[in-house]
Amino acid sequence: MSEGDAREEFLAEAQEIIEGLSRDLLLLDQADKEGRDDPDLINEVFRGVHTLKGIAGMFGYHQLGAVTHALEDLLDDLRLGRVSLTQNVLDVLFEGVENFQRLLTEDPDGPPVDLEAYAAAIDLVQAPAPLARETLEDYALDSSVLSVLTEYEEHRLRTNIEQGVTLFRLLVRFSLATIDSSLEELKTRAKPLAEIITYLPSMGGGGGEDIDLEVLLASRASLGELRSALGSQGEQLSEVRRHTTAPSQLPPAPSIPAVASVPSRPTSAPPPGPPIASERPHAPTSAPGPMDEEDAAPLAKDAPGDPLSLRSVASTVRVDIRKLDHLMNVVGELALVRSALGNLREKLRQHADEREITRELHRVGRTFERHLSELQDGILDVRMVPLGQVFDKLARIIRQVAREHEKEVQLVVTGAETEVDKLIVEELSDPLMHIIRNAIDHGIESPKMRELGGKPALGTLALNAYPKGSHVVIEIEDDGAGMSIERLVETAVRRGLMSHAEAEELTNEEVLALIFLPGFTTRSAITDISGRGVGMDVVKTNISRLGGIIDIHSEHGSGTKLTITLPVTLAIISALLVRVAGRPFAIPITAVQEAILLVPTMVRTVEGREVVTVRDTTLPLCRLDELFGLGTPNRKKRSFVVVTALANRRLGLVVDELEGQQDIVIKALGRSLSRVPGFSGATDLGDERVALVLDAAGLLEELLATTEWRRAGDARLAEGVRHD
Amino acid sequence: MTDQLVRSRSSMPAEIEPENAPQSVRDVLSFTLADETYALPLESIHEILKTPPITPVPRAPADVLGIISVRGRITTVLDLRLRLHLAHEPASARARVLLVDSGVELLGLLVDAVQQVHRLNPDEVELSNMVSGELADYVVGIGRPGARRMAERDATSTEELLILLDPAALLRRVV
Repeated sequence: MSEGDAREEFLAEAQEIIEGLSRDLLLLDQADKEGRDDPDLINEVFRGVHTLKGIAGMFGYHQLGAVTHALEDLLDDLRLGRVSLTQNVLDVLFEGVENFQRLLTEDPDGPPVDLEAYAAAIDLVQAPAPLARETLEDYALDSSVLSVLTEYEEHRLRTNIEQGVTLFRLLVRFSLATIDSSLEELKTRAKPLAEIITYLPSMGGGGGEDIDLEVLLASRASLGELRSALGSQGEQLSEVRRHTTAPSQLPPAPSIPAVASVPSRPTSAPPPGPPIASERPHAPTSAPGPMDEEDAAPLAKDAPGDPLSLRSVASTVRVDIRKLDHLMNVVGELALVRSALGNLREKLRQHADEREITRELHRVGRTFERHLSELQDGILDVRMVPLGQVFDKLARIIRQVAREHEKEVQLVVTGAETEVDKLIVEELSDPLMHIIRNAIDHGIESPKMRELGGKPALGTLALNAYPKGSHVVIEIEDDGAGMSIERLVETAVRRGLMSHAEAEELTNEEVLALIFLPGFTTRSAITDISGRGVGMDVVKTNISRLGGIIDIHSEHGSGTKLTITLPVTLAIISALLVRVAGRPFAIPITAVQEAILLVPTMVRTVEGREVVTVRDTTLPLCRLDELFGLGTPNRKKRSFVVVTALANRRLGLVVDELEGQQDIVIKALGRSLSRVPGFSGATDLGDERVALVLDAAGLLEELLATTEWRRAGDARLAEGVRHD
Repeated sequence: MTDQLVRSRSSMPAEIEPENAPQSVRDVLSFTLADETYALPLESIHEILKTPPITPVPRAPADVLGIISVRGRITTVLDLRLRLHLAHEPASARARVLLVDSGVELLGLLVDAVQQVHRLNPDEVELSNMVSGELADYVVGIGRPGARRMAERDATSTEELLILLDPAALLRRVV
């Protein structure tokens, strides 16, 4: 592996860990708000940070290493109960994740990561929590058990005792051959009712084939309930009772006095892996490679449990998307080869004496075609990632923005598993982030305001995703203040976008769409997250660049909903090939509703625009030859209307010929053509022919906008029309 | 105009700065455009293509002829005549597309005909102040291949002039 590859690999892995951390922290935040205590999650976060520290060290990311190290100390204290989890601590943890992200991306625009300030923030929350005064001696626990408890196990034991949870002792005998699976079974059975604090080989010892274990459990369930949950394994379950007189022969609990003086180094406490079996049944059991000198020893010691292994557990590979693009290009080239072969076969068919070989070639050609389309589907499938990837990032932002603005917001996500092309997911995070910041800043009211308005103090932001045909729909809905039509109109007039009379004529939907105009904002005060008046127009531009469309619905007083409709993939699509003035163009089939023959007498003119009536609805027409300046002014004998539709917008594109449907690989136009409107790319048709692919969303925007916004006089849109 | 000349000089590749130039020898590819001979540094040219069918792009800037597919890669082709404000003429059979890297993407430049590669000694390159107007932006100098030999034979009248173009400047204004 070259150095560059290694770096890529590191970045990808670190990114994955950070995303995991972010997810876990959000869960932790939620658990904390609900008053629950979730040691497993803290462990999960601790492990993530620990692994990150390890790989940061390996790849020489010293700054990152320093942050992880400081954070790891804090997490260790949390694990061991030296620090209790509060919102302040959570803030510091979230800030840590932000810092990781910044250090990784080395964003030149972002503020530099102030490590000293962050270290100070950690110190501030890391002041030790008051120690538990409850002593373990009161319990009838075997000193041999107490003396071997790890610091973590002891902490869990104390926490449970403090919370008044009953302790149980279970004696079980497992066969050495099946101990792993038996333990797993025990854990699964106990999990809903009880926490397993530790299990140790019992003093009595087993026979040659068996081993006796003493399991210490904490549970709020009764002895009977727990016993029946454990089934056959629960026969020897008994409650650990409190002594009435403290027996003096018990040694003092091993590490209580030491707690305050234990250097808070992560290596001082082994991870909470049980001493016998792996917590994760599929984790590799071999010892992990050393990470750095400091960590190597404790890790090796923990090898059997080894939750900190650097080795990947999942059998997945990470692939640079550009490699997939390349493969897709190759598939495109193969499709061209396929059609060339078809032509050869046709030629061969002319020769009667070659019939046998023609048939053979036909058969081979069919097989080739089938495998090619499998290959194509396979590559497309690999490119697909769940939208949850971007939703997770948003959840972090929501928490942060809501805290900054002292608003209470809960996030409700549905359809996170909906899959979209990786490139689209990447391009979505900025627009979505902007929408969400807007929703929290402008949409959702302060808790007090909400209560005054008879709403629950806790605002709700919903992210819903679902597939719809070959498109994906993403809705961002808040139950906030909504938008006031009057205020939007007032702003538009004040900014000289239209006169009062013109504004009167706009429908509510048209008024709402004003927010997508450049420089439009109703906020008088500029806040740090939104209100700069750049934003929604950029959001709209970004979405249309992906071939998508954004719509808005808002009820004043009850909330706003933005709906984004996007194609599932940009890489390969089915297209309708048409001809305009003799030139081929491709229209993505996803945008095509139907194609009909244009009968000249059907055409009517409404406000100077040609329309036809199709299935009882009026369809505006656009003659592509005119739009593209390819006009041969004589209205020819025959033409077709391709009915294009996206979301609720429809437009009839008038073309000369329909050539049929074909799968095409869309290739980007060069940067030199990025400002040319109307095309999303081009495709190779073979025989040195290249066809432009129409950007249906862009054309719908451009052409429908001119009627809707003619009165609004928006300069940008007007410019768009003047091109023809 | 002098301002522009100074600016275009400052953007010249270092090796043709007069003070650095003496020892360096440059290879350039010469080609014709409207009966004049131009040249680009040989290393800036990736490939020379026989003109394939070019698909015009509606509503593109005027000097964009269209797009072609170069082994599956969509490439924009510019009409170098229009770029240099020369009269447009339909491409002949001798027309070629030079593939040049603009730094952002590979671009095709349509020229009337490709001539040959010249090796220019430093004393055969004259940093020009002869050209002015819009062209000055793109021209770094005049090449006089064989000037040395000519001088020896005292036959200056048949001397060939190459208008040396700066590929970076030529492609920079493509947006």
